[in-house]
Amino acid sequence: MNDAGPLLEVEGVSVRFGALMALHQVSLRIERGEILAIIGPNGAGKTTLLNVISGFYHPWEGRIRFAGRDRTRLKPPDVAELGIARTFQNVALFKGMSVLDNIMTGRLLKMRGNVVLDALWWGPAQRQELAHRAAVERIIDFLEIQAIRKTPAGKLPYGLQKRVELARALAAEPQLLLLDEPMAGMNVEEKEDMCRFILDVNGELGTTIALIEHDMGVVMDISDRVVVLDYGRKIADGTPDQVRKDQAVLDAYLGVAHD
Amino acid sequence: MTTIEAGLDTFPKLVRSNAERRPHKIAIREKDLGIWQAYTWRQYFERARRIALGLAALGFARGDKAAIIGDNRPELYWAVAATQALGGVPVPLYQDSIEKELAYIVDHAEARFAVVEDQEQVDKLLHIRAQCPRLESIVYDDSRGMRAYSDPCLISLAELEERGDKLAVGQPGYFDAELARGSADDVAIICYTSGTTGSPKGTMLTHRNMIVMGRNAIEREGLRHDEEVLAYLPMAWVGDHIFSYAQSVLTGFTVNCPESAATVLHDLKEIGPTYFFAPPRIWENLLTNVMIRVEDAARPKRALVHFFLGVAQALERARLHGRTPSAWRRLLHPLGQALVYGPLRDNLGMRRIRVAYTAGEAIGPEIFVFFRSLGINVKQLYGMTESSALVAIQPNGDVRLDTVGTPLPGVEIRISEQGEVLYRSPGVFVGYFKNTEATRQTLEDGWVRSGDAGFIDAAGHLKIIDRARDVSRLAGGTIFAPKYLENKLKFSPYVKEAVCLGQDRPFVTALVNIDLAAVGNWAERRGIAYTSYTDLSQRAEVYDLIEHEVRRVNASLLDDDVLKGARIRKFLILHKELDPDDEEITRTRKVRRGFIAQKYAALIEALYGDGDRVQVQAQVTYEDGRTGTVRADVKIRDVALRATAAGEASL
Amino acid sequence: MTEILHGLVAPFADIASNPSFFAEVLIGGIAAGLMYSLVALGFVLIFKASGVFNFAQGVMVLFAALTLVGLIERGAPVALALLLTVGVMVLLAFAIERVVLRPLVNQEHIILFMATIGLNFFLEGFGEMLWGANVKRLDVGIPDTSFKIGNVLVNRLELTAALTAAVIVTVLAVFFQKTSIGRALRAVADDHEAALSLGIPLKTIWTVVWSVAGLVAIVAGIMWGAKSGVQFSLSLIALKALPVLILGGFTSVPGAIAGGLIIGVCEKIAEVYWGPLVGGAIENWFAYVLALAFLLFRPQGLFGERIIERV
Repeated sequence: MNDAGPLLEVEGVSVRFGALMALHQVSLRIERGEILAIIGPNGAGKTTLLNVISGFYHPWEGRIRFAGRDRTRLKPPDVAELGIARTFQNVALFKGMSVLDNIMTGRLLKMRGNVVLDALWWGPAQRQELAHRAAVERIIDFLEIQAIRKTPAGKLPYGLQKRVELARALAAEPQLLLLDEPMAGMNVEEKEDMCRFILDVNGELGTTIALIEHDMGVVMDISDRVVVLDYGRKIADGTPDQVRKDQAVLDAYLGVAHD
Repeated sequence: MTTIEAGLDTFPKLVRSNAERRPHKIAIREKDLGIWQAYTWRQYFERARRIALGLAALGFARGDKAAIIGDNRPELYWAVAATQALGGVPVPLYQDSIEKELAYIVDHAEARFAVVEDQEQVDKLLHIRAQCPRLESIVYDDSRGMRAYSDPCLISLAELEERGDKLAVGQPGYFDAELARGSADDVAIICYTSGTTGSPKGTMLTHRNMIVMGRNAIEREGLRHDEEVLAYLPMAWVGDHIFSYAQSVLTGFTVNCPESAATVLHDLKEIGPTYFFAPPRIWENLLTNVMIRVEDAARPKRALVHFFLGVAQALERARLHGRTPSAWRRLLHPLGQALVYGPLRDNLGMRRIRVAYTAGEAIGPEIFVFFRSLGINVKQLYGMTESSALVAIQPNGDVRLDTVGTPLPGVEIRISEQGEVLYRSPGVFVGYFKNTEATRQTLEDGWVRSGDAGFIDAAGHLKIIDRARDVSRLAGGTIFAPKYLENKLKFSPYVKEAVCLGQDRPFVTALVNIDLAAVGNWAERRGIAYTSYTDLSQRAEVYDLIEHEVRRVNASLLDDDVLKGARIRKFLILHKELDPDDEEITRTRKVRRGFIAQKYAALIEALYGDGDRVQVQAQVTYEDGRTGTVRADVKIRDVALRATAAGEASL
Repeated sequence: MTEILHGLVAPFADIASNPSFFAEVLIGGIAAGLMYSLVALGFVLIFKASGVFNFAQGVMVLFAALTLVGLIERGAPVALALLLTVGVMVLLAFAIERVVLRPLVNQEHIILFMATIGLNFFLEGFGEMLWGANVKRLDVGIPDTSFKIGNVLVNRLELTAALTAAVIVTVLAVFFQKTSIGRALRAVADDHEAALSLGIPLKTIWTVVWSVAGLVAIVAGIMWGAKSGVQFSLSLIALKALPVLILGGFTSVPGAIAGGLIIGVCEKIAEVYWGPLVGGAIENWFAYVLALAFLLFRPQGLFGERIIERV
């Protein structure tokens, strides 16, 4: 793998749904080890961008390169295998399964399965399961969710569900973590916790993070760089301070000059 | 049993003795990464030794204080032993202290060292360092989030132990020599208690205090080396220090540290402790949890549980009052045991409990009866920091609802002129750190003023009535505890507030506030019409209702030789609700006694007069801020008089 | 009035008066119930993993039995025929995933349900075309005879079927709860998108599920076929699986088992003891009445996951 360049490059990507251009020739880079925030008004194309990166949509034009190699047309499972994990805007947990099982599922890619042995729950399969369980326990400890290990995910309050989803994404030990509004619908205390976890993941595990977030305070506090989308176009890209002063950004947020 | 005279006169020496005598016995467990990690006594001693050497390498000297802050973790208990081994004094602090409290104690205790759990505590200490100039080194156990910290005063526990190992190479006899220098009368711990007034006081307890008193309790309660306890209450609380450290070291039993504060109930189930302590608040939570789950169950199951709980509670109440329970309940009990009590106990993690305590404050009788009726041997314990946590415990087989038991071996109790409980015991503290004034006020000739009013009943049980400063006497000299009576009155759903009067008066009277919702509902069900609070409060039926409650309270006092002289003789129902807007009660609903005595002086005089009613005129503040005057006739009910008239013998 | 009362009460007296006969009825009920369970299990597996209510499960049983009998008739030894049938069912699973499910991914459940109805008719016709439509006898080498335990007659074939079903159920339960593939199956059942984003390949999962459902169908087909011959009516036992599923819950493996047993036992007892009072044939509709009662009082079934939704 090429360790030098940016981790992910999006080059001139456009996505259209029928007549609607959801993304218009967007280019951006995600550098190794950074926390990149993608912001923009509602309908700016943020989630679409995340979906393109994780393979749920394929661009109409443009390219996506991961660690220097073209990955434009990969499907979600293959993207996951590359080392890109994500969370969803409306928490997509396996609601009937326990928190532990949810996070264990996140490790499936790390398991080298043998259907027969696995089905028989035999020797090596069992040992492998235990090793993965240990890895999952470290994540549970990291995110401080010991108390809810055995709780069905669907029974948890919203803030904890978001945390469990982060845990499940982390279980895949991704190089790039995509977070779609990790703090939506949280109270102040839960937001503070989540910020701490995101910074810890980035600092302690060295995971590169790209996140969509609406809370500007949070964005400015935790991100190294901010990309601003508006109506499917990138209108700014820079450090939080640069972006804060950018006239185009101010206009977009104040709803000026679109027609 | 080994004794202080045999040279095992400090806790770290006892730890070493455990490491030699039972090296492979589990001393402490901690749930980490989902698994119970166990450490033997040999490991316990070894880690304490390494930490001690590490501290020595940082310059720890005899008499130095080390602040210990964090959740219950083996590492922190080891740090306690390590500090003591060097002749230093551990000062455990509440892990949720705010910076101001932390700064006061760290500074007042003159702590040069702090051993803390994690980043959270490190952050707080770094913040207050300017106010604590003596603080030199902060040792942290969990290195999560600590990568970016470069402050030279910080050192990780692992690093500290490495430095200790190096020191041991250079001075191999250092640790043993330091350990040997310790003696029974060294201060072993300083526990800071925040009184209701003034700054926290640092209670100094010696090794002798806790070794002798801890052992007396062990013998009385029959504790053994195979007990399992859960260490989940703050390390700064003297109780945790006694139960999870002192007694564990003394007997060799196993201490279990929960995974996190949030997992305590679950960990309790996994461990199934044999020895357990909890303040009433936690017993209450446990009960609520159980009842919520019962209410969630299917209807037949729910009915079954309620039925058998009823049986068990009736049995237990009979037993606590020394009566013989009815035969059919005794017959049903084994069935209930199999169907309900056993499974419930299991579910609570209390199947194996041999001894459990409730302490700290009075426990609600229904909560106490609930757990005892399940067959859990929960008992009341009385003690405080100044007594090494131990003064009196209810003896096995002689548990009552309203006493805190008999004095432990070595404890003497007497009651002062003013009715205050005084005690003297081997566990009595040596003084408050740097506060001779407070020490002088509390400790006199070895006797400690507990601050509680109480008495010893005929069976030798200590009974606590109230805080001493809230207790006074009637004109005839009888002890009168207004809050005690008021709480008993307020136990009725119909009584919202009550103010009892009697100091220097011939008898006790009460001003009662009815609960509008409950009494209103009661009245509607009986077809009693009323127009307003004032109207309802003066209805004869309502007076009858409240009189019934007063009689209930009076009857409950009859068992009590000291308090039965202070029964309520007359009462009246106030025509208006006590209201914070009228400054009659505080926002936290505490009665302002002085203000009420003044405002309702006319009513009070009438209560001690001959009339059966009194006219009032009162200023009230309406919701919209306007003030107005209420004029009403308030009736006075003489309980004793009516009792005689009705020919009742009970009063 | 008294007559009705008598009719309701008298059978209990019968039961009490001849316990060993009652035991036989009970065993017969359990044996039939296990058959229902096996079919219901096929439904549950597919429903859990893909959210599809597979209307064609009954026909899959018929198709499996037809294939096996057909191969044996053409001279294949039983073991080889069985192996080949397994192969055919796995192939079928691959084909279904490729031709039916993959093109319809992310479609409404009702559309997938319609697709399985189509599959139902296709398999029925295809099976007949391949193997003919007449009733065939299936002999798996276990005699359809009985022996006595105490006073109770036990049928060898039924006993074997019961044991086989028990083994399969245990294996499947472990498979679902303990193994990583089982977890992946449950994950896919819960949330397609999230499963995809974790690198779980839907097509593999679906193929595995349909293969397992096919294997269960073979077992059910053999047992049922050996008892009453391989014929078209075999596919109708799928209809009996419906009340079983309502009783046990659509997503619960233990539920399918318990539901099957309850239905089997209840309808046998009803038929034998109460049947004569109403002129017989209770067996045909009793299960549906039971299921209806359940729908009213416990819609999620005996073991169904409580429907948890947070707002």
